[in-house]
Amino acid sequence: MNLKISALDFVQQVQNGDISAEDFVAETIQRIQKIDYNLHAFLSVNNDAINQAKSIDKKIKSGEKVGACFGMPISIKDNMCIKNSKTTCASKILENFVAPYDATVISKLKQQDAIFVGKVNMDEFAMGLTTEFSAYGPSKNPWNTEYVPGGSSGGSAVSVSAFECVTSLGSDTGGSVRNPASFCSVVGYKPTYGLISRYGLISYANSIEQIGPLTRTVKDTAFMLNMIAGLDSNDNTTIDNKNEDYLSGIDSGIEGKKIGIITEMIGDGIDSTVLSATKDAISKLEGLGATCEEVSLDMVKYSVAAYYTITATEAGSNLARYDNLRYGYEFPVEGYEFNSYISKARQKFGPEVTRRMIIGGFVPSAGYAGKYFLKAMKVKSKLIKEINEAFKKFDLLIAPTVPVLPFKLGEKIDDPVSLFLIDINTVTANLTGKPAISVPFTISNGLPIGMQLFANSNEDKLLLQAACALESTVKLPEVPI
Amino acid sequence: MVTEKEIEHVSKLMKIDVDDHTEYVDKVQKMINYFDILDSAGVESEEISMPEISLESLRKDEHVAFDDKLIEKLNHYKGTYVRAPKMSS
Repeated sequence: MNLKISALDFVQQVQNGDISAEDFVAETIQRIQKIDYNLHAFLSVNNDAINQAKSIDKKIKSGEKVGACFGMPISIKDNMCIKNSKTTCASKILENFVAPYDATVISKLKQQDAIFVGKVNMDEFAMGLTTEFSAYGPSKNPWNTEYVPGGSSGGSAVSVSAFECVTSLGSDTGGSVRNPASFCSVVGYKPTYGLISRYGLISYANSIEQIGPLTRTVKDTAFMLNMIAGLDSNDNTTIDNKNEDYLSGIDSGIEGKKIGIITEMIGDGIDSTVLSATKDAISKLEGLGATCEEVSLDMVKYSVAAYYTITATEAGSNLARYDNLRYGYEFPVEGYEFNSYISKARQKFGPEVTRRMIIGGFVPSAGYAGKYFLKAMKVKSKLIKEINEAFKKFDLLIAPTVPVLPFKLGEKIDDPVSLFLIDINTVTANLTGKPAISVPFTISNGLPIGMQLFANSNEDKLLLQAACALESTVKLPEVPI
Repeated sequence: MVTEKEIEHVSKLMKIDVDDHTEYVDKVQKMINYFDILDSAGVESEEISMPEISLESLRKDEHVAFDDKLIEKLNHYKGTYVRAPKMSS
């Protein structure tokens, strides 16, 4: 059984009767059992997955209508609710939380006969970019297990890269889908803000975060979008995509398209190998008929500070619900005064979450809001103006997804500001609501480099076409695991 | 420059025990000090743009029944009430 196939190939092979969903899912579970002790992508595995696949095979044999996934095994970041399944957000405070309802993306995938093979690792409450801040221990990069896989959707990227599932869903607040996709050599997509419902996604920074797929190919991302995008009455920020078919015309190419190279994302601090890969990607896009020239987005320099100020503020509010009365763990209330009980219970939060809650209380507080939060919001507004101006001239923008190569576990964990700066090329898409995609581009000394393309809001289809064109120019080695 | 005292005060307001000074106060101070870069962004005159959603686009403000009795899932549910810690006098 070849577990290394794309989602589209899986669907076709099951449809044709070449493979059964049951056999494929069973082998996938076996692979997880065999290799995941070393990678730690999964926080929990669905023990009923094989039975669920069996029932889909039965539907196929009996000629019943079958959903578009045909029993495809998918992993889900552990901050999305699956009814009656544990949803920990990689936090000790939600260690035994069982979700009482399905997230909208989960309901949609269930309708399409997807099989959720398990919930995958992440930085606690999605706060981090290496998966080292998971309360259950870090995931490891399948390209070299001494290195971080990126984050916060690290478990998602690892599980797709190491063939422990066919596709995965992650969430992207400041690059949390694209960064691990780049570090693990898979495709990672952050859609236009509002394209995918956030209902049932545990909130971190609602105003900028989005759920996004991680897949082996760009076409697989389009396939996933076809199933999960669109309006949802449970999320008022969703947009009507008029049932767009993202797969149709995806091979259209990029001849005649104008691509802006974001100057601030290839400047100070960029690794020379990453810069060289970026130049190579630009040459390849020009070879496909696009024209490329540099464009400046001045506010990018301040985007990371603005991003952390805004997200910490929203997190400070969102995480206030963890008072151990509404959400929390077994910890008796007797003998405690109200405030001291909550403070004591919150010691279950990991260090990064605690730090961001403190910052989230500080930056919007009286006396400091003008210096930090309001200024961050103004940077965000100006950045939106700048990128909208750029899209008057260009169809697409390009930059490396991450300015550096994957680094070793533990290398940067004690230096919060150096970790901040890893996000510099990804936060712009979140702050402006624009869609962006990371496409695997090259492998340097055994470590992956991803290339990032941006499009204007609601131009997701064009973005996928361009990403597909870029993907067609590279042939990468297989992950050595 | 943010002081340690200010951070400790905000932590208390956020109901967080700062038991490890290095992990919390020192690193938070470093993080907030990095945000001072915002002072050089030159955005003082910029207006803050906010996305607008029309009232018609919002779902109706009405009760939607949930299948399960969610209150029974709370850790301190005691059959007819939820036990909470005592309020300070």
